[in-house]
Amino acid sequence: MTKYVIKRVLLMFLTMFIITTMCFVLIKLLPLPAIRQMGRDVNLILAKREQMGYNRPIMVQLYLFYRAIITGWDWGVGEQMYEGLSVWGVMVQKLPYTVLVNLYSILIAIPLGLGFGIYAALKKNKWQDHVISTMVMVFISVPSYVYAFLVQYIFCFRLSWFPLMLESASSASLISWKMFYSMMPAIMSLGFGVVAGLTRYTRAELSEVLTGDYMLLARTKGLTKAQAISRHAMRNAMVVILPMIIGEFIGILGGSLIIENIFGIPGIGSLYITSINVRDYNFFMALTVFYTFIGLASGIVIDISYGFIDPRIRMGSKK
Amino acid sequence: MKKILSLVLALAMLMSCMSALAEGAFTPADSYDVGERAYNAGVVEVSMAEGGSGNTVDTVAFAGEAGKDYTDEKVYTYNDYIGGTTSMDWNPHTWETSDDSMFLDFINMGFYSFYLNEEGDGYSVLPEMAADYPVDVTSEYVGQLGVEEGESAKAWRIALNQDATWENGEKITADDYIYSMQQQLNPKMLNRRADSYYAGDLQIVGARNYLYSGATVYDLITDTAENLIAAGTDVYVDIWGFWGMEGTTDDEGNPCPHYVLTTDEVMYRDPAVEDPEGDEAYVSGKYLFENYFAAGQVYEAYQSSYMYTATVADETTWDEVGLKKIDEYTIDLILVNPMEEASFYLPYNLSSNWLVYQPLYEECKSFFDADGKQVATEEEAATVTTDYCRSLEKTIGYGPYKLTYFELDKQITFERNDEWYGYRDGKHTGMFQMDRYNVTVIPDHATVMMAFLNGEIDGASLQDADMETYASSAYIHYTPQSYTTKLTWNTDYEKLLSRGTNSQIQVIDEFRKGFAFALDRNAFATSFTAAGTAGFGMLNYLYTYDPFTGATYRSSDYAKKALVNTFEVPYGEGEAFETLDEAYEALTGYDIEKARELMQAAYEKAVASGIYDGESDIVLDLRVYNSDTIYVQMFTYLDTQLKEACVGTGFEGKVSMNMTADADYYNTNYSGGADMIFTTWGGAAMAPFGVLSNCYTDGSDGSGNQMEYGYDTSAIALTINMNGTDYTYSLQDWANWMNAYDVTNIISDLGKFADYSYDTRCGIMAACETAFLHWFPTTSIYYRNVASLYSQKVNYATDTYNNIMGYGGLTHMTFNYDDAEWAAYVAEQGGTLTY
Repeated sequence: MTKYVIKRVLLMFLTMFIITTMCFVLIKLLPLPAIRQMGRDVNLILAKREQMGYNRPIMVQLYLFYRAIITGWDWGVGEQMYEGLSVWGVMVQKLPYTVLVNLYSILIAIPLGLGFGIYAALKKNKWQDHVISTMVMVFISVPSYVYAFLVQYIFCFRLSWFPLMLESASSASLISWKMFYSMMPAIMSLGFGVVAGLTRYTRAELSEVLTGDYMLLARTKGLTKAQAISRHAMRNAMVVILPMIIGEFIGILGGSLIIENIFGIPGIGSLYITSINVRDYNFFMALTVFYTFIGLASGIVIDISYGFIDPRIRMGSKK
Repeated sequence: MKKILSLVLALAMLMSCMSALAEGAFTPADSYDVGERAYNAGVVEVSMAEGGSGNTVDTVAFAGEAGKDYTDEKVYTYNDYIGGTTSMDWNPHTWETSDDSMFLDFINMGFYSFYLNEEGDGYSVLPEMAADYPVDVTSEYVGQLGVEEGESAKAWRIALNQDATWENGEKITADDYIYSMQQQLNPKMLNRRADSYYAGDLQIVGARNYLYSGATVYDLITDTAENLIAAGTDVYVDIWGFWGMEGTTDDEGNPCPHYVLTTDEVMYRDPAVEDPEGDEAYVSGKYLFENYFAAGQVYEAYQSSYMYTATVADETTWDEVGLKKIDEYTIDLILVNPMEEASFYLPYNLSSNWLVYQPLYEECKSFFDADGKQVATEEEAATVTTDYCRSLEKTIGYGPYKLTYFELDKQITFERNDEWYGYRDGKHTGMFQMDRYNVTVIPDHATVMMAFLNGEIDGASLQDADMETYASSAYIHYTPQSYTTKLTWNTDYEKLLSRGTNSQIQVIDEFRKGFAFALDRNAFATSFTAAGTAGFGMLNYLYTYDPFTGATYRSSDYAKKALVNTFEVPYGEGEAFETLDEAYEALTGYDIEKARELMQAAYEKAVASGIYDGESDIVLDLRVYNSDTIYVQMFTYLDTQLKEACVGTGFEGKVSMNMTADADYYNTNYSGGADMIFTTWGGAAMAPFGVLSNCYTDGSDGSGNQMEYGYDTSAIALTINMNGTDYTYSLQDWANWMNAYDVTNIISDLGKFADYSYDTRCGIMAACETAFLHWFPTTSIYYRNVASLYSQKVNYATDTYNNIMGYGGLTHMTFNYDDAEWAAYVAEQGGTLTY
């Protein structure tokens, strides 16, 4: 297993290197944003681009890019957005907000989703199951920003239960009750979909597992229904559910552009798209590497997790 | 038998298809000649400038609201918002956006500032970081720094305000100004705003050469390439701009430079040609010159657009720069050009400042060698970067407020700077009641409206959907903007032809003109904007052509005639309207019958010239930023009106529009990749004479246009009769002359533009505007205005909009509630306010 993990990690870095190199070369092949400085000096922009090495061969630029990262963890500065600010610095400032809001929403959504799913499975085809299944369909079908508008209008504006927007760090520290409370509308908006998705998967998997012969065997050997469900049914059902939960955690870092805009969350939701639109090379490359790493690393984590849930699955085994 | 019949039938169908295809086969002409473009603008009455720098401006400021205590102990906070931030740069040397500029004004102060005048209906000018108004000392510099005998208004002495301090209490002296300008022009930093001191109205002697000292700079040629080459001057081709070679290399991997010599034979691979053996798979500077730009070649007329000379900027020491310390509190500014009407324009150009705080500025520098590797000192470095004024810790100012909180993309707070001299000098009575200015980043409009109604923010811009609710609110404000939104056309035949959608039809002048007459601008502005008004010209009614009288361009007879002539509204004896004013008042620009006549004429012309077969479908592509509802609605309107204009013409049932969302649509348009886009230009409302050149005729790639791809203003001959003589130059030359460029042919005939009275200048500008619009390369649709709600918490100083001071702004704003009272008032109203 250890050998397998090491191999996967090494392969991950190789894949990252290939993707990064390809992206760097491809984006550098694009023409630079046109210089349109109304009434201003074009030579100044050209000189700046020359100074930044834009006119050097792409392979030289690639070498300098890798060297700066490896020797000084230097991802450069913003060129078309947050001009002059450290790319890494901006990401580090914005990332915690995105992570926290999404993390809270998932941590709240997981027990709720599992709970509703288990309950619906146990009450299969009864009115409780029908109500839950109907709600699940509604919450899965409607995009999260629709909930966001409704949550903000009803709970924040009309009822004043929550603030309209996220607190500023000037009035509450990032990890504090006040900040968490101001995040609640965003957490709810993000969480509805996750709860619904988990409920549906859990119900489906558990319904199938509960009809298995081994469940009957478990009960006949004297286990209570609760024991049989928690020790046997849930464990089997989790083989499908856990990767889904891990997949949700990956999404944490992606952010949610619309939710962040609505609730005034200074996260990284819009960074990637903006960097492509305005052709900011340094931001684009840093975010490409970041998201590539997250995607590849989570793939490894999901693969390894199978072995923990189901001992019969052995990753990397030749047998 | 069945098989034979089937075979015969299939053959018959095949033959019928082939014959149909043969009938429909149409190859549009390879090119289209728009013909000679010459416009005679008629007579402009000539009078020369009188008074020059002797004209005076109001220097007594608004005293504030009678009986109001501006200095009480209460705390007044104005809560504002912005939609988003990607800049946040308050370094005076590199600031970028209008938000940056607004925030800079809180923490910094210009040499002079504009305030409401005593009556509150105009502006006044007060010295701020200067102790007094500037004094002309040109005579003291004769023989130095380019100043010649008999010249005036080139060297100005400014006494500095001795009470001015940094927010930490340290005095600001002449040395600070000298150091700061040295950094502004630091060649290793290449600061974005450096060109404010050598490329705008305020050009300091030696500033450009100091910045580029020893480096090569490129300028468009001002003579023919052949003449220059014959005279021994190296001439370069802009190979990136002309041939799209940016990012390409030669066979050895060397990158293709931006400019290549016309004699350079190094061949660079053009990736657009797939086959390396194919025609023009490799091009060089020499090849492009000889085959495209040289005399007799197809792009000879474009020499002045794509060909450059290179100059190595003189090695320049600081002594050769026109900024001198006279004593601890006096500096001299020596300018390249005389500052005309200096009593207004010098304070106007010095209403910002270049000051930076030396200890912090040095601390914020990072040094890199040519490979981007960090080095220890500035001397070793090839590049110097700075994060000065990019965070709370690294920001220091000297203005009425200081930065006290900054969280990227979330919140910015400024609070009263008690060290500011203005709170004690007695000149600012009745101003600055606000103690704290708090800005929250709120990208979503619905959230903005809810926050406003909850009393969390004190102003909200309205969108068109809000107008139904708030149009009659007592708290609504309409703020004119200098921007005009237009539909801009691509008129480059080859680019349009390459699309294969028959959009080449839009090179026909009558087609564009017909479309222009099919637009009901009033309906458009009302339906799709919150506060926009119908627009017809390139400059709107906000532009002031005489800063001393406040006379606006659009209300002048010249400018009225420009639009009345463009839209062919007849006036005079026996005409529909007796006077120019009546005709102007009646102008709508909408005449569907006329539009149809023009469309039919366009149809006949297109068929006759062989660019259209008269039958095929035509699809015109409108590129817009995104496919938001508002864009879809605007597109639908344009598409409907286009079809409406084609009813009863040869185009009926054949023309339609397509909308493509393209976040990079401006750049797409720059390269001719769009059929049409919406463009919005404006700015510099007090300096309208440069707008035509800056925004329309002076493409930085030299193409004779900024956005109207294919519309070459250097090829338009504009004739103006002045003092009984007709003067004919290209439209681009006229526009550049108005923009104070060194247009030698006009200057030798007519002298400098600034030598003429404001009325004459207005007439010349109107002639240029009319000439530009005459062939309808762009169709103005609406003038922008902003409708906004202001809070019950505050009052603006005046209800009359002032071009420079608006409604008095935050400086003159008064508060009805302090922070505690406001919170109580909002709670009293149940948490939601009514507007």
